[in-house]
Amino acid sequence: MINYRTHSVEELATDEMFRRWVIDPTPELNCFWSQWIHENPDRSQTVSLAKELVISVRDMYRDELTSEMMRQDINEIVRLASERRNTSGWRIYLPAIWRVAAAFVLISGLSVAYYNARLLPKTVQTAHKIPVIPALQMRVSSNNDKDVMTVLLSDNTVVTLSKGSSITYPAEFSGSERRVSLRGEAFFDVSRNEQQPFVVYTGETVTRVLGTSFRIKAFDQDKTELIAVKTGKVSVFAKKEYEKANAKPDAKIPGVILTPNQQVVYIRKESRLERGAVSQPAMLVESIAAREQLFDDKPIPEVLVSLQKLYGIDIRYDKELLSKCRINAQFDDENLKQRMNAICQAIGASYDMVDGQLVITARGCN
Amino acid sequence: MRKEEISYDPIELDVRLWKRFKAGDPDAMGLLAQIHYRALYNYAARFSCDPDFIRDAIQELYLDLWERRTFLSETAFVKSYLLKALRHRLIKEALRLKKFHEPESAFFDEDNTDPSIEVNIIENENLRHQQGRLKQIISLLSKRQQEIIYLRFYQNLANDEIANIMGLGKQSVANLLYRTLKEIKQIWVPAEFFWLLIISFVAS
Repeated sequence: MINYRTHSVEELATDEMFRRWVIDPTPELNCFWSQWIHENPDRSQTVSLAKELVISVRDMYRDELTSEMMRQDINEIVRLASERRNTSGWRIYLPAIWRVAAAFVLISGLSVAYYNARLLPKTVQTAHKIPVIPALQMRVSSNNDKDVMTVLLSDNTVVTLSKGSSITYPAEFSGSERRVSLRGEAFFDVSRNEQQPFVVYTGETVTRVLGTSFRIKAFDQDKTELIAVKTGKVSVFAKKEYEKANAKPDAKIPGVILTPNQQVVYIRKESRLERGAVSQPAMLVESIAAREQLFDDKPIPEVLVSLQKLYGIDIRYDKELLSKCRINAQFDDENLKQRMNAICQAIGASYDMVDGQLVITARGCN
Repeated sequence: MRKEEISYDPIELDVRLWKRFKAGDPDAMGLLAQIHYRALYNYAARFSCDPDFIRDAIQELYLDLWERRTFLSETAFVKSYLLKALRHRLIKEALRLKKFHEPESAFFDEDNTDPSIEVNIIENENLRHQQGRLKQIISLLSKRQQEIIYLRFYQNLANDEIANIMGLGKQSVANLLYRTLKEIKQIWVPAEFFWLLIISFVAS
């Protein structure tokens, strides 16, 4: 039994049994405390002060939370948590997607060739109209009908464009930042360059990074824009704020900094950025299409042809020089750059992205 | 099942639930949410007047912990761990929102100086003779002092837990709390005696 006789006002006010008597009394508690006060009349001052302390603080910091609200919120938390318990469920559907993807890969090869053919005259036209620096010739890549489309930028950044999306970028990056603009949705795997930040403009947001991977979803018809981060650090700004601040050179731009597995939603109607944890894991993969590859002692040209088909990209290399190089490799959820890095490392080569193509520089093998 | 578990010692129950939560048990998550939701909500209400903002913040807090559950450490102080994580989240979020639209309210963290309550009291000389004096006395404390009083006498946390939440040393919390209580008593208790004297004088 606790000896309450020696308790100070503060000790009494933090005693669980005393607090329950003050806040939510039961007949038993009432009985105990009234008897105690009766037996210890000299402590009545301490008791009344402690009581006032508990009640005053409680009254001061009262809140509006009802049991109903609380119940709802807890149920929602549990529901969301159970949903996120097994997040890799989508893998079961891969065989079906894989078949579809294979079909798309065939078409994508043709489409890229088609777009490249069409785009070149277009860029020449714009160059005539606006006298820009030649290095800033703008290119547009649009994905109208494929699941995903891979776009290679001149700084070795890989953009995986979703269906119904398009991206505008310079043929060659120059100036203080690498600036691209996006309509729709894309996953970015940005090459690191601290001297030249990579900046994505969408309808109403600006996303600024040094070198990371992330996804942006900003379709014109949507009420929100979403930016989800897989690796590295990403700053997101409301476009209005960004442009306003850019006018004044020293101004600090108010924005949100995201770290891996965080996302921000821009609510267009309220011009407001809302941060949270990434809700769908699929947002953080380059493409949900299966891209498993298994190379068992295969010559490099064969490997590269397979990659070209899989990503719908062009790879330029010296076929003869590389025909003697062979590798063993298994790729599963590695992205394009990780695969290229692995292959190049194995054969002592390097690669670059030039004019939307992957160019491999190698010495060859014996 | 639920009743049986809640009848345990609260700290011990927290520790057990936290273990199960870390192992990925959604029921444990639900119970942890149920036990601490009110305390978290009330604490958050010190930082924001927007109930939806608070509810979102608590939801995000739990889900964020849920996703990182395998990386979380074992802790015996689940309540103060949650309060601290929420505090961190709210301050960060409030600072961010401030830049987009005006914040609704001042929060505990705004000032770090603790001018003696006597300074404030001078402007309110008749305070001594009013009802609900203690509330007024507390409201004149610095934000930091108010927070410590709140954590101690509303959330009923121990000094080391308060130190953890407020990011202060244990001794600083003890000192601040001691000083704050002393200041409160200097104004509050003499007045109490004053009234007792009046009453006994009238009665006799």
